[in-house]
Amino acid sequence: MGLLKARGALLRLVSVSIICMGFAQVAPAGIIGTAHLVDKESRAASLSRIEVLLAREDVGRQLEAFGVDRALVVERLNGLSHAELLELEGQLDSQVAGGDIIALIGAVFVVLLILELVGVTDIFKSF
Amino acid sequence: MSGANRVNRWSRLLPALFVVLAGCASIPPSVSELPVAGQAIELEDTPFYPQERYQCGPAALTTVLVQSGATATLEDMVDKVYLPGRQGSLQVELLAATRTEGRLPYVIDGSLAAIWRELEAGRPVLVLQNLGVATAIGDWSRWHYAVVVGIDAKRGEVVLRSGTDRRRVTATRTFLHTWRRGGYWGMVVLAPGELPAAPDRSRYFEAVAALEQAGRAAEAAIAWQAALGHWPGDSVALFGLANSRLVLGDYPAAEEAYRELLEREPGMVVARNNLALALAEQGQYDAALQEIDIALAANQDAALERELGDTAATIRRRKQAAD
Repeated sequence: MGLLKARGALLRLVSVSIICMGFAQVAPAGIIGTAHLVDKESRAASLSRIEVLLAREDVGRQLEAFGVDRALVVERLNGLSHAELLELEGQLDSQVAGGDIIALIGAVFVVLLILELVGVTDIFKSF
Repeated sequence: MSGANRVNRWSRLLPALFVVLAGCASIPPSVSELPVAGQAIELEDTPFYPQERYQCGPAALTTVLVQSGATATLEDMVDKVYLPGRQGSLQVELLAATRTEGRLPYVIDGSLAAIWRELEAGRPVLVLQNLGVATAIGDWSRWHYAVVVGIDAKRGEVVLRSGTDRRRVTATRTFLHTWRRGGYWGMVVLAPGELPAAPDRSRYFEAVAALEQAGRAAEAAIAWQAALGHWPGDSVALFGLANSRLVLGDYPAAEEAYRELLEREPGMVVARNNLALALAEQGQYDAALQEIDIALAANQDAALERELGDTAATIRRRKQAAD
């Protein structure tokens, strides 16, 4: 049991270090970023370095789970701010994904048609 | 299906339909008002990238990036923002990818006037629309990214680069409905140093701080410089400029900016911490440790206490190594 736990911890460490490898910021250690003043009201302002890394790891794993190529994950993570990492952490699947998919759940064609005719929706034009 | 059943179904459906229509009918005037009456604007030279299936995100993003002078390609943007498992793209990933192209993404106010002002400045606006609708009786959402390139106030039309349509003309009212269901979310791509048409200080600062966190210090420095032009003497902007210089390795210039800031605000602990680092990078370890002592004495924030302690330890280690 103890061994399994240790193995889990080791795996976690390895995956964190993989995510860290491509870390964008190459700054003097200890610098307090401008976001500290800008994000004052949010939790992102007081994030420790390790919390940021854990959020990166989590979001990175979610991106991979949603089919992003492993080689592209780090680059995609690098563009995200700390506040955005927090926003995505643990809930990538609940975000809106713009992609022209029509969710037809409980479709009632007549209702849709009326909405379209009165100019409330724009769903039927082809792309 | 029996007649009674049918009646029953309609009797449930019709009130729901009225609720849906009533809910959809109102667009607040603050959103639909334009700064001008009867005029038209269209950025005809905006490029067009017809989208592949589900890839309106990469297509719309490439459009606004290229228009801002970046050298993005559609294939690259697919790699950077398309999420296969969701068959779509997330808003934050559009922002992130803009940063990795060395550009500053800025989320505009959710109003037609805000779009108009950006168009006047030559910038098309990437918008999130829900072309369908989610209601109590069914979810027919169709999330879609498109780029607004024109508004014709006289004809009541909005012109978009959308999907496979190079010039999609939509009634303003319909556009506003679909945009409202997209949370009135719209972004422009700024070249470093460009300010949005109607800059909101806190939103612009957030955008630049995020650029800094994305490791684009050179672009952030230019953006903070521009911020200082618009908000002269702003402490946060000056702090940002100093930080970018520190990250870029221009230590004397960073030191100068921190000192200017601290002269005005001696109690600004975060600036003193970073000044100490700028000094240490120039080999002035004793002066650096002195600054940390002043910072520790002035500090009221428990979280910063730890950071200051870490900075002091780092500088002491480096001093020992140098001796």
